[in-house]
Amino acid sequence: MEKILAKEKLRDWVASLQGCEVHGPAFADAVWNYAKAEGDIDLRHTNTVGSVKAFAFPQREVFFRFEHKRGERPSLVPTLPEPRPTVVFGVRPCDGRGMPRNDTVFSKEFKDPYYWARRDKLILVGLACIEPHSPNCFCQAAGGSPCSEEGLDILMTDLGDRYHVRGVTAKGIEVMERGRDAFKEASGGDQAAVAKAHEAACKEPQRTFGDLVAIPDAIRRNFEAPLWDEMARHCIGCGICTFLCPTCHCFDINDEVSSPGKGERVRTWDNCQFPDFTLHTSGHNPRDNLGMRLRQRVSHKFLYFVENHQTQQCTGCGRCISECPVGIDIAAVLERVSQS
Amino acid sequence: MMDNIYLPKIGRIAGIEEETQGGRAIKTFKVEFPDGDGFEHACGQCAMLSIFGRGESMISIASSPLVKDYKQFSIMRMGRVTTAFHEARIGDLIGIRGPYGNQFPLDDWKGRDLVFIGGGVGLAPIWPVIQTAVARREEFGKITVFYGARTSRDIMYKADFERLKGSADVQLSVDAPEAGWPAYVGFVPANLMDKAPSPDNAIAVTCGPPIMIKFVIQNLGQLGFADEQIYTTIENKMKCGVGKCGRCNVGKDYVCVKGPVYSWAELKSLPQEY
Amino acid sequence: MVNPKEIRDYAAGLLEQGRVKSVIGYRRGTAGCFAEPCTLTEPGEAGSLVWDPTCLNNLALYLVKDRKQQAASRTPDRRPIGIVAKGCDSRAVAVLLQENYFKREEVVVIGVSCEGTGVVDPRKLKNSLKGRSALKVEFGGGESIRITTRAGESELPAREVLADRCLECREATPKLHDVLFGESLAERGYDAPFRAVKAAEATSGEARWATWQHHFDRCLRCFACRSVCPLCYCPECVVDSTSFVITPQTSAEEKANRIRWCERSANTAESALYHLTRAIHLAGRCVDCGECERVCPVNIPLRLLNTKLEMEAFEQFDYQAGRDYDRPALISSFRDEDPNSFIR
Repeated sequence: MEKILAKEKLRDWVASLQGCEVHGPAFADAVWNYAKAEGDIDLRHTNTVGSVKAFAFPQREVFFRFEHKRGERPSLVPTLPEPRPTVVFGVRPCDGRGMPRNDTVFSKEFKDPYYWARRDKLILVGLACIEPHSPNCFCQAAGGSPCSEEGLDILMTDLGDRYHVRGVTAKGIEVMERGRDAFKEASGGDQAAVAKAHEAACKEPQRTFGDLVAIPDAIRRNFEAPLWDEMARHCIGCGICTFLCPTCHCFDINDEVSSPGKGERVRTWDNCQFPDFTLHTSGHNPRDNLGMRLRQRVSHKFLYFVENHQTQQCTGCGRCISECPVGIDIAAVLERVSQS
Repeated sequence: MMDNIYLPKIGRIAGIEEETQGGRAIKTFKVEFPDGDGFEHACGQCAMLSIFGRGESMISIASSPLVKDYKQFSIMRMGRVTTAFHEARIGDLIGIRGPYGNQFPLDDWKGRDLVFIGGGVGLAPIWPVIQTAVARREEFGKITVFYGARTSRDIMYKADFERLKGSADVQLSVDAPEAGWPAYVGFVPANLMDKAPSPDNAIAVTCGPPIMIKFVIQNLGQLGFADEQIYTTIENKMKCGVGKCGRCNVGKDYVCVKGPVYSWAELKSLPQEY
Repeated sequence: MVNPKEIRDYAAGLLEQGRVKSVIGYRRGTAGCFAEPCTLTEPGEAGSLVWDPTCLNNLALYLVKDRKQQAASRTPDRRPIGIVAKGCDSRAVAVLLQENYFKREEVVVIGVSCEGTGVVDPRKLKNSLKGRSALKVEFGGGESIRITTRAGESELPAREVLADRCLECREATPKLHDVLFGESLAERGYDAPFRAVKAAEATSGEARWATWQHHFDRCLRCFACRSVCPLCYCPECVVDSTSFVITPQTSAEEKANRIRWCERSANTAESALYHLTRAIHLAGRCVDCGECERVCPVNIPLRLLNTKLEMEAFEQFDYQAGRDYDRPALISSFRDEDPNSFIR
């Protein structure tokens, strides 16, 4: 389904989504992030600092509440979320491509009911990147494109005074149907304009690194090389790169106790760059330095994920590069690994 | 409705055996399923045990799959959750989910000699396969069990070893000399070289402290065991048990799903991140 | 104006003469126009050193990192390290010296004066460029910053793009140094110290609480603010229940009974506990390098928490962290004239 939406009609489309929770990018506290949309949605955003993964995989998820007195039967109350349909506007194609990768992680071997309870209700309305929103974008080097539909339910393209809106999935088309009065039919001219805009978008300069297909071998070849230690030398071991990443999914599980015997078992985001991530109770740590942890982050995305799922677990959003406090740059790491 | 993979079943501690005392105390727990919702497991698999309010820990199932009434776990007191288990009493209710991980390919080993080499609490993960092999005694050749501990007081499963002697060649050792000790004195890898089991048509299975495993594998190689004839089981920190939380990986494998059992041939091809 | 070549030559000299094992400085990064930290070990590498308003990092952090590495090493290398330091960075070195983290002879401070400007705030820069990226950011001479974009070159008044900490900086010239590049300017026409925190304090208690609830609620607990702080060097941290130091000798009891002061959940209460604990632990120690605020991916104004406590230290005790490395630290000293009304 292809339609045209005049920019001033976006508000009408959003208003038609009654019963849904609607989120869109908002500029607050000097950063773009997703926020609940009321009325208008500002789609002039670069990329949101947090990725869209949090809608299905929030930073904190309560698995169940427990109450247990010794000698008595513990009561366990599962807290599976029951969200309303949630429509997210302004999803950049890199974040869109992240979601099928997360779907794989939360489906393979065992299906994760908490993730899927949210994911099944999620409708992603993408916005093509007519120009790179950061100097560290590398979606094309990572196998994607600034106008990729992968993982999105709807793809919008800014044509100046209007949006071209393409329904990609049945879920997306349904959301377009609900706002049908806001749309006009797309003409042949509109289609030509979209094709032209997408073609121009793909020609915008982006970061590059060596041949994507050759990278697994390059990592294997350099696995024991000193370059990991060198490149991680100034890493401070914080969680920015992984917490902002649209595909990093590592988590911790803890019992949070509110009073004796009573509390919640909680999943929270975790990060392979924290020293305690792999620390055994004995004090032994299989990845006990920053070089090994950088290697893990890069290998997970560009080697292990490829070996297990035949695709990269990085979509080139560039957040980990732009937001790193000390200039650790996954594109530069890959380039160096490719050439070593 | 999808299974809630994070919601544990309720287990009841039906028996507690104090195996060893001191700084590295080990207790063995028999866990029953009072709701009748127990699960089957295979040799080498693990389960996620929890004490509500303290947290979860992945523990290998030490009983044979042939035992259906309960599951047995031998737990060394190491941290938050294991200490809570050591403070537990018979009748206490715990959380249990599983089983997780792969298994020892026991059926592939029919007709072969089996050499088990354990050290310390590392006996627990290979104990179910020893028990099962002995229960199916006629399917296998010679069965030898090497086991060593620091002192005779640190030896696990003492009563079981007495019974085991009827069907297997048991070779015990203690690290340092002590009065009245009738068997070998010295480390496990040395005892292995001393008895020098034949690699012909044999499979060796080892688990113990990392340093012991390292030398046992070296020595097995010297005895002529090929990498494919050597099996071990590895551990890493785990949180989810279902291949998602991302921390137990060794290379591309999540140990909780693809492990913990590996042949040395397989393990050698993975990065040494365990 | 500081000529970067002089810094390069000096660094190369230090390495050539074997006076230091390494020089920590800034080089051009690959991720945009900002400089990144570098560690030089060969004189030939000194050519990569840069000095411009994108040298944001407080490199004293890497002195701490090296010290931790040497402490864990079987063959520690305790030869001195050279470090390029702005005014704020050198104050951090001074606090580390005061706290005996290392000895004066173990560090060679290559002081660089920020003169009439300082470093830019990447967010202000982005705003002033309406979201576009700068290709190059240089000192423009005097109180201006020269910026090159794809559209060309322009000169901006430094006030518009300087980091807040630079606007409030009391000492833009490193007092503690072994060599100093650049002029020492007594007067800089920017904001009075503690301007931002005073403005924040002027609002009502309810408003402040609402503001901070809002910010703590946004915290991701990536711990970048703690990781980047040269004075957050504790090997174990009270807010991080699982990262305490474990040795083979640590008993099960110790591990089991460790109190979890702070849960991992990034909710308002736990994150408030984290940030307030951290702020209190930095009282009388924070040198206002502003790194915590700079690195925060969601832009929590963390500087306000720390400068509030530094303002107390200054107003109550006439104490400025990092001003005098050879005097006792605030927390570990007592003078008869110290206000002590709380004792009565």
